[in-house]
Amino acid sequence: MKLPLLSLLVLLPLLGGALLWLLPARRARMVAAVTMFGVLLLATWLLVLYDPAGPRFQLLDRLPWLPDIGVHWLLAVDGLSVLFLPATGLLFLGALVASWNAVGEAQRLFYSLLLLLQTATLGIFCAIDLVLFFVFWEISLVPVYFLLARWGVVADAPKVAARYVLIMLAGGFPLLLAFVMLGGVAGSFDLTILLDRPADDGVQRIVLVLMLIGFALKVPLVPLHTWLPQFALAAPGSLTAVLIGLKVGVYGLVRFAIPLAPDAAQDWHWLLAGLGTLTLIYGAVGVLAHSNLRVGLAYASICHVGLAVLGLSTLSEQGVQGAVSLLLSFTVATGGAMLLLEFLRQRTGSTDIHALGGAARTMPMLASGVLICGLAGVGMPGTSSFPAEFLLILSILERYTGAGMAALFGLAIAAGAFLALYRKAFFGPVTRSAVAQAEDLRPREWVVLVVLIALIAGIGIYPAPWLDIVRPAAEAWAAAFLS
Amino acid sequence: MPAEIFWNQQAALPLLALLQLLPLLGAAVVFALGERSAAVLAGKLFALAELLLAGFAASRIDPLLAGFQLAERIDLLGYHVAVDGISILFLLVTALLTLLMTLYGMSRGMISPGRLFAVLLLAEAGLVGMLLTVNIAWFAFFSALELWAVVYLLRRWASSRAETQALARFVQYQGFGLALFVAGCFVLGWGYAEANGGRWSFDLFDLTGTLPAGKFQTAAFYLLFYGLAVRTPLFPLHGWLPNMAQHGLIAVAPALMVGVKVGIYGMARFVLPLTPDAVLDWQPYVVGFAMAGVFFTAALAFLQTNLRRLLAFAVVSHTSLLVIGLFSLHGAGIQGAMLLAANFGLAVTGMWFVVGFVFRRTGTTELGELSGLFERIPFLAIAFLTFGLAIVGMPGTPGFDAAHLVLEASIARFGALSTVATALGNVAAAGFLLWGFQKAFLSQEKSGSYDVDRTQPMEYLVCGIAVTALLAIGFFTEPWLVLTDAASQALAGSFVR
Repeated sequence: MKLPLLSLLVLLPLLGGALLWLLPARRARMVAAVTMFGVLLLATWLLVLYDPAGPRFQLLDRLPWLPDIGVHWLLAVDGLSVLFLPATGLLFLGALVASWNAVGEAQRLFYSLLLLLQTATLGIFCAIDLVLFFVFWEISLVPVYFLLARWGVVADAPKVAARYVLIMLAGGFPLLLAFVMLGGVAGSFDLTILLDRPADDGVQRIVLVLMLIGFALKVPLVPLHTWLPQFALAAPGSLTAVLIGLKVGVYGLVRFAIPLAPDAAQDWHWLLAGLGTLTLIYGAVGVLAHSNLRVGLAYASICHVGLAVLGLSTLSEQGVQGAVSLLLSFTVATGGAMLLLEFLRQRTGSTDIHALGGAARTMPMLASGVLICGLAGVGMPGTSSFPAEFLLILSILERYTGAGMAALFGLAIAAGAFLALYRKAFFGPVTRSAVAQAEDLRPREWVVLVVLIALIAGIGIYPAPWLDIVRPAAEAWAAAFLS
Repeated sequence: MPAEIFWNQQAALPLLALLQLLPLLGAAVVFALGERSAAVLAGKLFALAELLLAGFAASRIDPLLAGFQLAERIDLLGYHVAVDGISILFLLVTALLTLLMTLYGMSRGMISPGRLFAVLLLAEAGLVGMLLTVNIAWFAFFSALELWAVVYLLRRWASSRAETQALARFVQYQGFGLALFVAGCFVLGWGYAEANGGRWSFDLFDLTGTLPAGKFQTAAFYLLFYGLAVRTPLFPLHGWLPNMAQHGLIAVAPALMVGVKVGIYGMARFVLPLTPDAVLDWQPYVVGFAMAGVFFTAALAFLQTNLRRLLAFAVVSHTSLLVIGLFSLHGAGIQGAMLLAANFGLAVTGMWFVVGFVFRRTGTTELGELSGLFERIPFLAIAFLTFGLAIVGMPGTPGFDAAHLVLEASIARFGALSTVATALGNVAAAGFLLWGFQKAFLSQEKSGSYDVDRTQPMEYLVCGIAVTALLAIGFFTEPWLVLTDAASQALAGSFVR
C-alpha cells in the first residue's frame, strides 16, 4: 500500500501541536523542534521522490470530504510547488530558533500555534482542491492573529493583529466567491479538472478580478499593501520571517488565478504588468523612506514581489520559472534576514538605525549574515537570487521593454537604499550602550547563519538542479497561453 | 399535500411523544425534589436523556425522503407531530444546548438551582414542542409556554437592578409578537373554515390544501412574519434583546431565546409553505431590510461599551443573514440558512457562557473595566474567539459550508453585487467581535485590576463540549448536509419559477 505522504506531511505539525499539550510545558519547545525537524526531513524526502520528468501532479492523495458539493481532500505537488515544502520546513525551524528564549509564558500555546501555522502553510502549497486550499488559507489567520496579538513586540500589537485579520477576511470573500463560481460552473473544485475545462469568457473575467483582489491583498500588491509595514514592525520576528519569507499570495496567482482564467489573463496581461511595475517602483522608493531595518526589508520584499508579478505577466515559461525561483530564493534570503534582524532586536531592543550604529563592531557575524542575505535580496551574482532575477529580467525585457527598464531602475534604487540603511546601522561609531554591550551570535543562531549562507551560495553557484525541477512544470504552465 | 410516514413504520415507540413528555416529566420531578441536591442531578440526567433520545430519533429517520416522518396524530385535539431533516437538526441543537445550560448553571453557582432546572426543562419542553408540531396553533401554544418560562427566569434570576425595565420591555415586545402570530393563525384557520363549510383546522397538512387567496394571504404573511420577526429578532424589531441581554440572566435566558432559532424555523416550517405567493411578492423587501439590518446592527455593535449588549447586536446582525438565506427561496440557500442557524445558535450560546464565566469572576461585563483576562483564563478566551470565528464562517466550523451555500444561492438569486455587500456585512461582524475580544481579553491590565480565578473543570467541560461539537461538525459536515438536503429542496421546490 502506498503511504499518503503528503497528508502525513501536512498533518504532522498538527499532531506535534496536539502532542505538546499532553507533555509538561517545559518540554513544549523540544516537541516543536523535533516535529519541525521531522517535517523538514519528510519534505526533503518528498523532493527526492518527486520525478521532474513524470506527470504534472504527483504524490496524489485523494479522499472524499464533502462529495455532495464536489469537495475533496486532494493534495498533490508539481514542479511549481514541491520546492516550497522543504523551504517551509527550513524557515519554520529558523523561526523556532529565533523564538527560542523570547516566548515567556504560555509556551505550549505559542508552539502549538506556530505548528498550526505550519500545517496551514504546507496545506496551502499542497492543496489542489479549491475549497481545501481556501480552508488552509483562512485557517492560517487564526495562529497569525494570536501570535501577533499576544506576542507582538509593540504596545498596539492587538490592533495591528485585528486589522490584519479583517483585511485578510475581506480578501477571503472575493476568493471564495471566485471559487464558488468556478466550481458551480464545472461541478467540481478539483484543479486538474478545472484546468482542462476553462470557464467561458465572461466568467473568466469576473473570476480573474476577484482572485486578483484576494491574492493581491496577501502578496501584497500596491495599492493593497498598507498592512505590511505595520505588521513587520509589530509581529514577533519569527512570525514576520514566516509571513514575509513565504510568499503565498504570489503562489496563489501562479497556481490558481492565472491558470484558471487563461484567456482573461491573456487579455488583461497589461493589468498584471502594470500592478507589478507599480509595486516594484513603490517598494523601492519605500525602502528609501524608512529608517527601520525591518520596515526597509518589508518594502524591499514588496519591490521584489512586484518583479515576480511582472515576470508572471509575460505568461512565458521563463517568466514563471524565474518568478517561482525568486520566491524560493526569497524564502531563504528575506526570511533569513528577518530572523537575523530578530536576533539583533533581541540584543539591542530595536531595529531602527537611529538606535543602532556601529553594530558590526560588536556583532561582526550577525552583521556579515545580514549583508549576505541583503546581497542575495539585491540579486548579486553568485547568490541564489541571481539566476531567478536573470530569467525574470530577460523575459520582461523581451515582452515589455519599457517596464523592463523601469524594473532595472527600481531594483537599483532598492539595492542602493538597502545598502544605505545597512551602512548606517552597522558601521560608524558605536553610540548606544545597548549596541556596545551586545554579544555576537550564539551557537544555535550560528547554525541558522551557516545553513543560510550554504543555501544562498550553493544555489547561486550551481542553480541547475533546482531550475530543472521547476522547468517542466513551468513549460506546462506556459503552454496554456500558446494557443 | 405533503407526504408523511407514521411512527409505527419506523420505530417501536412513539418517539416524538416521548421527546415532548420527557422534559415535562423532568420538570415535574425536579420541581418536586425542591432544593435537594438530587434535584440538580436529576435535572442534568433528564437533559442528557433528552439529548440521547433526540439522537436516537435522528437515527430512525431517513433523511433522503423529503416528506415528514415519525408522524403521530390525534384528530380530536388537533395533535399532529412529525419531523423532517430540518426539525431534527434544530431538535439536536435544542437538546445539546439545554444540557450545556444545566452544566453551566451549576458552574456559575446560581441561587436555588433546583427551581432553575425545573424552569429550564419546562422551556425545553416548549422549544421541543414548537419544533415537532405541524399544527400552527400548537406552535403558538408552545411558544407561549416557552416565553412564560423565560419571563419567570428573568424575574427570579436577573443579575442586575435594572431588570424590571428590561423585563417590561421583553414582555411588551414578545406579547405583541405572539399576538400578531396568533392573529395570523386565526386568519389562516378562518380561511380554511370558509372553504370547508365551517370546519376549522390549523394543521399544516390541511392548510396547504386550501391556501388563502389574494389579500388574505398577504395579511396572513404579514402577521405571521412579523410575529416571528419579533421573536427571532429581526431588525428593526430587535429592541427587547439588548436590554434583556444586559440586565437579565446572563447566559440562560438569551440562550433560550436566540440559541435555538425557532423564529427562523417557524418561517421555514409555516410561513414559506402557507403563504407562497405573498412570500414571492414581498421577497425583495424582506431581503432589502435584512441587508440593511446586517450593516445597521454591525454599526451599532461597534458603539457598545458592554460585552453583553455587543453580543446582542451580533445576534441581530447574523439573524439578518439567516433571513437572506431563507428568502433566497433556493434549495442551497435554505439549507445554508438552516445549518447557519444551528451554527450561530451553538456559537453564540457558547459566547454567552464565556461572558457568564467572566461575570462570575469580575462582577462586570463593561468593556472599559475588563482587561488582560487572557493571561488568567486562556482557555476561555480561546473558546470565545473560536465561537466568534464560527459566527464569521471560518473554515473548520459549520459556518463555513453553510455560508458557502448561502453565497451560492445569493449569487444565483440576487446577483454578485448584493452578495458582495452581504459578505462585507459579515466582515463587519468579524470586526466588532474581534474588537470586543481584544477589549475584554487582550488589553493591557489596568492598575488595581482583579486577580481572577483560573479556569475550573466544569468550565473546561462546558466550553470544551461546545467547541468540540462545532469543530466536529465543521470538519465532518457531510452527514449534516445529507440530513438537511432533501427537506430544503422540498421547501424550495414550491418556489421554482
